[in-house]
Amino acid sequence: MKKFVVFLLVLTMLFSINALVAASEEGKLLIWADENRIKVLNSVKDQFEAEYGIPVEIQEKAFGDIRDNMAVEAPSGEGPDIIVGAHDWLGALVSNGLIAPIELGDKRDDFYDVAINAFSWGENVYAVPYAIEAVGLIYNKDIVPDPPTSFSAFEAIVRNITDKEEEMYGFIMPQPDPYHTFPFMSGPGGYVFGTNDEGVLNPNDVGLNNEGAVLGLQKLDNLYEDGVVPFVDYQTMTSLFTNGQVGMMLTGPWALPALEEAGIDYGFTQLPKIEGNPPKPFVGVQGFMISAFSKNKILAQAFLNEFIANKETMLDLYETGSRPPVYLPAAEEASDNPDVAGVLKSAADGTPMPSIPEMASVWEAWSDALELVLTQKQDVKPALDNAVEQIEKAIEASQ
Amino acid sequence: MSFWKNNFLYLAKIIFLSILDALAVWSATILFTEHKYIFLTILIVVTAIINFIYLSKKAYPLRYIFPGTFFMILLVVYPIFYTVYVSFTNYGTGHILSKDQVIEQLENRYYLPGDSQDFSYEAFKLPNEKEYAILLNDKQGNLYLAINQNIEEINAGDPRLRDPDGDGTIDQVKNYKRLSRGDLLKNLSTLQNLEIPFNDNILKMKSLNAFSLYRQQYKYVASEDKILDIKNNVEYFPKKGSFASSEGEKLLPGFRTFLGWENYLTLLTDERVQGPFLRVFLWTFEWAILSVVTTFALGLFMAILLNDESLRFKKIYRVILILPYALPAFISVLIWRGLLNTEVGVVNQILQTLSLDTIPWLQSVFWSRFALIVINLWLGFPYMMLISLGALQSIPNDLYEAAAIDGATGWQRFKNITLPLILVSIGPLLISSFAFNFNNFNVIYLFNEGGPPIVGAQTPAGGTDILISYTYRLSFESGRGADFGLASAVSIIIFMITAVITWFNFKYTGALEEVKENV
Repeated sequence: MKKFVVFLLVLTMLFSINALVAASEEGKLLIWADENRIKVLNSVKDQFEAEYGIPVEIQEKAFGDIRDNMAVEAPSGEGPDIIVGAHDWLGALVSNGLIAPIELGDKRDDFYDVAINAFSWGENVYAVPYAIEAVGLIYNKDIVPDPPTSFSAFEAIVRNITDKEEEMYGFIMPQPDPYHTFPFMSGPGGYVFGTNDEGVLNPNDVGLNNEGAVLGLQKLDNLYEDGVVPFVDYQTMTSLFTNGQVGMMLTGPWALPALEEAGIDYGFTQLPKIEGNPPKPFVGVQGFMISAFSKNKILAQAFLNEFIANKETMLDLYETGSRPPVYLPAAEEASDNPDVAGVLKSAADGTPMPSIPEMASVWEAWSDALELVLTQKQDVKPALDNAVEQIEKAIEASQ
Repeated sequence: MSFWKNNFLYLAKIIFLSILDALAVWSATILFTEHKYIFLTILIVVTAIINFIYLSKKAYPLRYIFPGTFFMILLVVYPIFYTVYVSFTNYGTGHILSKDQVIEQLENRYYLPGDSQDFSYEAFKLPNEKEYAILLNDKQGNLYLAINQNIEEINAGDPRLRDPDGDGTIDQVKNYKRLSRGDLLKNLSTLQNLEIPFNDNILKMKSLNAFSLYRQQYKYVASEDKILDIKNNVEYFPKKGSFASSEGEKLLPGFRTFLGWENYLTLLTDERVQGPFLRVFLWTFEWAILSVVTTFALGLFMAILLNDESLRFKKIYRVILILPYALPAFISVLIWRGLLNTEVGVVNQILQTLSLDTIPWLQSVFWSRFALIVINLWLGFPYMMLISLGALQSIPNDLYEAAAIDGATGWQRFKNITLPLILVSIGPLLISSFAFNFNNFNVIYLFNEGGPPIVGAQTPAGGTDILISYTYRLSFESGRGADFGLASAVSIIIFMITAVITWFNFKYTGALEEVKENV
């Protein structure tokens, strides 16, 4: 028995060594996709196999694992040909040399510019984008029939509805959460990284403590300081909202399916303007990318250009992912849905989330500043100054 | 009977070794063709050792030791050496690939020259050979024929183009046969790598439907170890894991390279590390010591209660008390996090109904530390209770009887008999529990991600960050993302700190020696 166990162990070891050196195959497409994309890809796979006679294998990975596993497996030849991912991975993937540019050809004009720009690095485009997302104001129509368009109207509604005794809240957003808070800071002029003349992000120019950023956060903090808005995390926010205890919340289209399920009559609209400036939320774009280590780059490109970048697949992807499509023919059709129109409007004001790897230095420091400010431990200006100092030091140390 | 048994075992052994060797040979050929010589050497050595051990009578005892040793080396020693190795490199975001891989990628980078244009094409192939002829058609209607590396302009009436069935598509070029779309895809792996010289440019496949003119952008000059940008005429030399120009412009991607002691020097000199280090270090100690002391105290107390003979329903109590240990810590910590939520948590709501002040569990440094100790106590006391229960059984009853005769009080019995004897057997476990909590990343990170933040901190280090969570932030959540080199250096330093502490602990308590004497 003991020997048998040893034998099995040795066997598995030998196989794993073989797995280690087996190269990704020519003449077969391997795709890494997350759970939501798998369903759509499976039907595309059947079409592709029928038409081209080339086998396609789809492996399911958790969305976040796709990027991390690429860094380990692609260089050793074990990686896929195509991955599903988000545009903010671009910096890390490109500077790691893990993805290859895509030749979109004539199809380039069929996508929203903002989606192509989000996936561009230098002169190259690195993905076939399929979805876009941006946060906006989600309001419960039973509590807030007319969403506010100016911050002062917004503030009045929030103060009016909130009643802590009754556990009713006018407005909730997840905190400490830089991603969700950014629109308030960017509306009046805050930014994460400045751009140089060619439009390339400059990691040495951090604008999170400029006048506009401070003003915007101050306005938000007034509500927290007066105890009108509770300091809660994402889960608490959504569960309060689905209970009908919240008038408005700030988040993205991913929260909508749960609201529908809970039977809340909601609307999705743009955030209120701050002193006349529309808030600029972070725009996130998802797309299909090709591995730099793929041995089937031309084939992968044909798969994406012909079988993914078409109206039918893009609409399927929209329906399973509940994010608006960025492929124009599909977006037009999907815009009949008011949620989609709302997200697209919100995104139209937005700015792509910076995709340079230096963004890693930003989140923690920024999040800490938000927590200190909104829990009334520090004033807005010194907290943001300190955050920017932390960010600059971290970036400097990495250069 | 024993004859058959012996022969059967011998036969089994031979079959086992044969299969093993066959697999090894198979693996070796793959490793050899893939040029993985290090793995190949290891494979050969290991297979040879296995064969020797199982065939030689002399090596008989090794049969039982070898598998264990082998897997210990594979699973314990190898990762340690690998960590040490990585700590001397710049492995991390932007430096994942090897230098050779980067050079290969750069050399395969092409740009479209200003006068580039697309060609539609037909591909033809010699039957049974990987030889191709490409018939190209530019937008002006000129025809080109490329066979092997030669390309020439031809006219439509060229005699080499044959159309035997007269349907207008060319079916054959010389004896090269036209590839249907399906065949084209089968031959794509070769076709996509074709590079046909065309004037100063290269004709390469652009997509399934087109060839296009390209130029190579980068060339590696091995003699000078530099990358030459042919397009812009700039030289790039390797510097700290990137090819950099004299003006400091770096080519992406970078590669991993040996840095020497740089990661360690960063830890010693970087003010971002130095600033909060002392605070974090002290809290790490407090956290580890308090965790051990509180869990042990409560665990032992419960064990003594459970051990009391007059206690009824022992089994029920025991089951209830072990529950926290049986639940996955991952889930229970998150539940605690919800219970202690400042705004909507149950604990604060109870405080509120009692008209007491709510407590900022997650926002105040003191209270979040307090909460962490309580949570870890809840998670950890069942373990201490279990081992104490076992240890209590081993204390001879006559000692207590003698003490009772001498008129010792319960406290005296506990202080002079129970505690010293129990510490002898549990001491080493307490030390390992200390080392475990010293690096107890899960609880710290799941509860509050090391927060709350500290006003005016130089680097995002929170009030409950211990060394391991703090360095996780430094190496994975700052700079440019993941920095495995720095992270490895940190883990080695933390390993040395824990090793020294543990050594002192053993030395000071003499725990291991006394176990031998008393058992």
